Amino acid sequence: MAKWIIGIIIVVLLAGALWYSGVLGNMGMTASQTATTTPQTATTTQQAVAQPENGMSANNDASDAAISQDSAAIDTQMQGLNSDNANVDSSMNDKQTAQSY
Amino acid sequence: MKRINYITLLVAIALGLVTLAPAFAAAQTASVNTSAAVTAPGASVNTNTSITLTAAEKTAIGRGDTEITRRTAALTDLNTRIQAMQKVTDAFKAGISASITNEINTLASLKAKIDADADLATLKTDIQSITSSYRVFALVLPQGRIAAAADREVTIVSMMSTLGSKLQARIQAAQQGGADVTAMSAALTDMAAKLQDAQTQAEASVTASASLTPHNGDSTKMAANNAALKTARTDLKTAQTDLVAARKDINTIVTALGKVKATTTASSTTSASVTQ
Repeated sequence: MAKWIIGIIIVVLLAGALWYSGVLGNMGMTASQTATTTPQTATTTQQAVAQPENGMSANNDASDAAISQDSAAIDTQMQGLNSDNANVDSSMNDKQTAQSY
Repeated sequence: MKRINYITLLVAIALGLVTLAPAFAAAQTASVNTSAAVTAPGASVNTNTSITLTAAEKTAIGRGDTEITRRTAALTDLNTRIQAMQKVTDAFKAGISASITNEINTLASLKAKIDADADLATLKTDIQSITSSYRVFALVLPQGRIAAAADREVTIVSMMSTLGSKLQARIQAAQQGGADVTAMSAALTDMAAKLQDAQTQAEASVTASASLTPHNGDSTKMAANNAALKTARTDLKTAQTDLVAARKDINTIVTALGKVKATTTASSTTSASVTQ
């Protein structure tokens, strides 16, 4: 009878040791993390839809503030276009350094 | 007595495991955090002492190095811009990037060869090849720049279209509120037409330039390439003009919406005052 009690105590303590060191804990964490990750992914997707690129406001927002934000974002890209077109001109007018020997 | 000692011993071992487990786990974590020593390859400077260079030859090498450095910087900058393109497929982007990278590598090899040339005849040939390789650079650079500008224009078309949908909703709301939206609707229609044309012109610029290949000394092909690049440039300018006009249409609509809102607010205030 005493052997059984000792055996149970040892098993419980060893299980406790393993859980504390993370071996068993990780098994539980894996399931927990998976459950946590899924909503995060969903949240990220929703944010991607709600926040269009290049500084534009949400597609479904037609407020004055959103229109103002969109106009500013467009102006930024228009300035970038000026730079791009200047680079096109520069590339087409490029002259190489004269080589001689 | 022996049994008691036996029990005590086992319990002590188990408790010891519990106590040492965190330390064991920490040790495992620490062992993962190993530092990786990165040994950079030594940059060796190839000092060519087997030939004696005249001042003119040294000048020629200097000019060659300057030109190679200039082209490499331009191509590197272009490659960065290409990576930021938004409206093209990854395959298209990779294709342009591969051409640029190939040209950069070719220039690097040429520079290394010139620096290491051991006889004057080879040096002369290599320096002359700087000029011949310009044909590739003179095509790859404008091709990439045109593609980048066209990509920007298509991006702006997309952004303005999104804003146009919002403005359309606001115009409809104003109309339902009894406002005169004739001017706003006309501006919106003009904006849509300008965006359509800008999209067409931007796509045409890429179509005109993307498939060109170096002329390799063929004067007929060189003339055709130059003409195609100029056509693409004209397309880009037309698209930009369209976008500037569309931007003015946006301002027209936003200003008109502001006036409608001000009138509505004033009317509401007046009505409220009369009611009171």
